[in-house]
Amino acid sequence: MGRIPAGYLANRITTLVLTVVIAATLIWIIPRLSGLDPASAALGRMASGGGSVENADQILAQLRESFGLDQPLSMQYLLYVWNTLTFDFGLSTASFPTPVAAMIGNALPWTIGLMLISLVITFLIGNLLGALMVWEHTPRIWKVAIPAAMVFTSVPPILSGLLLMYIFSTQLRWFPLSGPYGLNVEPSWTFDFAASVLYHGFLPALSIVVVTFGFWALGMRGLMIGVQGEDYTTLAKAKGLRPRYILYRYMIRNAILPQITAFALKIGMLVAGQVLVERIFAYPGMGKLLYDAILTQDYPVIQGVSFVIILMTAVSVFLVDLVYPLVDPRIRHGA
Amino acid sequence: MTILDFKNVSIDFPTSTGIVHAVTDVSLSIGEGRRIGFIGESGSGKTTTALSAMRMLASPGFVSGGEIHLHSLPESNLLKLSDEDMRNVRLSRISYIPQGAMNSLNPVMRIENQIWDGIVAHEGAMAEEELRQRSNRALESVGLDPDIVGQLYPHELSGGMKQRVCIAIGVCLDPDLIIADEPTSALDVITQRHVMQTLRDVQGKIGAGLILIGHDMGLMAQSVDEIGVLKKGELVEFGPVRQIIEDPQHPYTRELISSVPLVGGESFLDPKPATPAKGYATEDGTPLLELRSVSKTYGAVTALHPMSFSLDGEEPKIISIVGQSGSGKSTMGSLMLGFNEPSTGAVLFKGHDINRQSAPEALAFRKDVQAVFQDPYACFNPFYRVNHALKFPFERFGLSEGPAHVQQAMEDACRAVGLAPETVLGRYPHQLSGGQRQRLIVARALMLSPKLLIADEPVSMVDASLRATILKNIHDLKDQHGISIVYITHDLATAYHVSDYVMVLYKGHVVEAGPPKDVIGDPQHAYTKLLISSIPWPDLDRDWGSSEDAEAGLAELARIDGRHEMILRSTIPGFSLGVD
Repeated sequence: MGRIPAGYLANRITTLVLTVVIAATLIWIIPRLSGLDPASAALGRMASGGGSVENADQILAQLRESFGLDQPLSMQYLLYVWNTLTFDFGLSTASFPTPVAAMIGNALPWTIGLMLISLVITFLIGNLLGALMVWEHTPRIWKVAIPAAMVFTSVPPILSGLLLMYIFSTQLRWFPLSGPYGLNVEPSWTFDFAASVLYHGFLPALSIVVVTFGFWALGMRGLMIGVQGEDYTTLAKAKGLRPRYILYRYMIRNAILPQITAFALKIGMLVAGQVLVERIFAYPGMGKLLYDAILTQDYPVIQGVSFVIILMTAVSVFLVDLVYPLVDPRIRHGA
Repeated sequence: MTILDFKNVSIDFPTSTGIVHAVTDVSLSIGEGRRIGFIGESGSGKTTTALSAMRMLASPGFVSGGEIHLHSLPESNLLKLSDEDMRNVRLSRISYIPQGAMNSLNPVMRIENQIWDGIVAHEGAMAEEELRQRSNRALESVGLDPDIVGQLYPHELSGGMKQRVCIAIGVCLDPDLIIADEPTSALDVITQRHVMQTLRDVQGKIGAGLILIGHDMGLMAQSVDEIGVLKKGELVEFGPVRQIIEDPQHPYTRELISSVPLVGGESFLDPKPATPAKGYATEDGTPLLELRSVSKTYGAVTALHPMSFSLDGEEPKIISIVGQSGSGKSTMGSLMLGFNEPSTGAVLFKGHDINRQSAPEALAFRKDVQAVFQDPYACFNPFYRVNHALKFPFERFGLSEGPAHVQQAMEDACRAVGLAPETVLGRYPHQLSGGQRQRLIVARALMLSPKLLIADEPVSMVDASLRATILKNIHDLKDQHGISIVYITHDLATAYHVSDYVMVLYKGHVVEAGPPKDVIGDPQHAYTKLLISSIPWPDLDRDWGSSEDAEAGLAELARIDGRHEMILRSTIPGFSLGVD
């Protein structure tokens, strides 16, 4: 507790950097195993646009050169690692010559806004419901309703999205069909714009919450059953503590600890987590960016997005490592 | 004056296979300031009966008949109180000291907060200063330094300190009655005496009644005024402690008393057969097991200081290693099993360093050296029938000559440990009792005809009445199957009976060693003396000593701390101990 030892910090930072470098390497290798040639793909798109392409070989060579694909693999790799670590992901091959960093810069805020909010909501609701499934003083109606609601967990998010869209957008017309904000507002720090963003974000967020809260609820339920059988819970009851106090301070407080680690891992995953939800709601986030990039074999974008995902996972795990001793006194910043 | 009455209390547990009558028609009264013991085996209903007075029965249990009266209440029938009124009774009038000392405090809360929340739940919010005064007083009453302990988290305390914190919580609101559920079963004898004396002292000071739940007749004799003996949910005998111990009426009570092995008492073992089985012998006299200057350190902590011994397997022997938790005895066990590598020195089996073996040698070593561990519940894979645990190593080591042979071997092994094969084979672990499982573990080891058995606390988790039987099974392995045994335990009485040689370990040092009649029968080292004097005797004329005696013993131990002295008593042939 208290101050974090320098040795421990150095150790964690080394791990963080190593993780990121190794992961970046894998990201680089995996798309190259697909055997597809992005230069040919670009040419193909040109051909399908213009009917036929003159001097195809020459253009192909030129494309290769501008994409850096004419360099030896080792050079490509070293250049890639250096550029990646400096957040220079190159230019998109599909939307040539937009810098990938700019594309990510545009998409990331949307995803973080939508996904982080829905993750936090899901985490809170899921864990609370999971805890209530176990607590002995939960009203009986809840004990029936919560497991029944788990049905939604088996619905794929794309279906829940379409369903919500149908009910609330097409039929009831309560919420807009798609897009991140209304056509009547300009992106700016104004109340109108913020309200429009929230209004448009509601359905996509809801469709994610509905299908993912079960993950947290079921995990929490298992942990709560463990805590419920612990001697300290029995003693808490024998001390005549109020049931609600026991629920929060003895049961949830202990059961939630492993969930915090899971939360950190999910933060990294959320960037790519709900690709299809972003897709059907035409939400210009990271998921959609990745999805489109895969369709067009846009290596730099795939690599850039994957790198951001890994970086976020690694950083959130790093932060949890630092914060964990504050929430669990048994864990110390050890070697 | 009576404070609590059980009147014809029955408790049922409805299950899918019918109603289990956990407690049937129990009536007894607890007088002011009196200490009552509930004794019986696991499943006898002793905890269930006591917990019914707190209305804290495990679901789906309920009181199906009778009344429980707490006379200090205006409406004395506890079963008629509202949930909120009952909550107010807990801790303020009836408090509870739980069994699992290791686990009964909230791991993420400071000690003083765990005393405060109990006070606040009954008396409402108050200034932190006042709360701290109250918690300090409670911690002082159990001999803990409140300025240090109050700020700590549970994992920073020893088992004994945790249990004293639980006592502090239990007495902080001056209850009428304290229910202590095996409060010392997870503690070693020295700590047990200290904690029990603390409990007795504070209970006497506040004049509360005490229900002590336990299975140790000796502990009862030293701690309570009256004893209730429970068997299968019925109170078979109830009376003053002296009458129960010196003149038990019910056959079950007599059985409970006679099943306790005593130091210097009658042996529970069969006499040595005329022609005991021979063990492992070599022509050149290579010892079966040899430790050469073995030590083990974990980081800065030395678990075991350098020691050497050699055990000759020709005439099988049982070597006991006794000591408190943390003395290094289990570390020795895992070194001998090759689970851990020593920090210095070498462990040799039949002359080969067990940590430098080729794969076939290592396989042969695993067959020749078997283990029995403490927890019979965790030793089986719950997804397999127990046959799997017996059969798998047997086949793996190439001993099988076909299915019929395996079956025969399993049945023979079961019989050898006193189990009827048809009642255990083909079942799942959860369908068997702890005692049956532990015997199966012994049978499993026996099937492989090992040369050496390492038994680490093999009976500490089974009922007292079964301990002697299982130890008898293990002892028979020596005489009838020629297996040498290393018996690791904290229980001096059983070590006294089964072993040929005893080593007393204290903080990683052997402090006293020799034949059990010398070491345990007539201890010389301060630590051994303290261990022996801390054993609670089921004998009312043999006093356990006051808490001052316990403190004096601990102080004497503190005096010799850091100075390493070993007292070697007489030796036995085939075993030699050397310390570097």
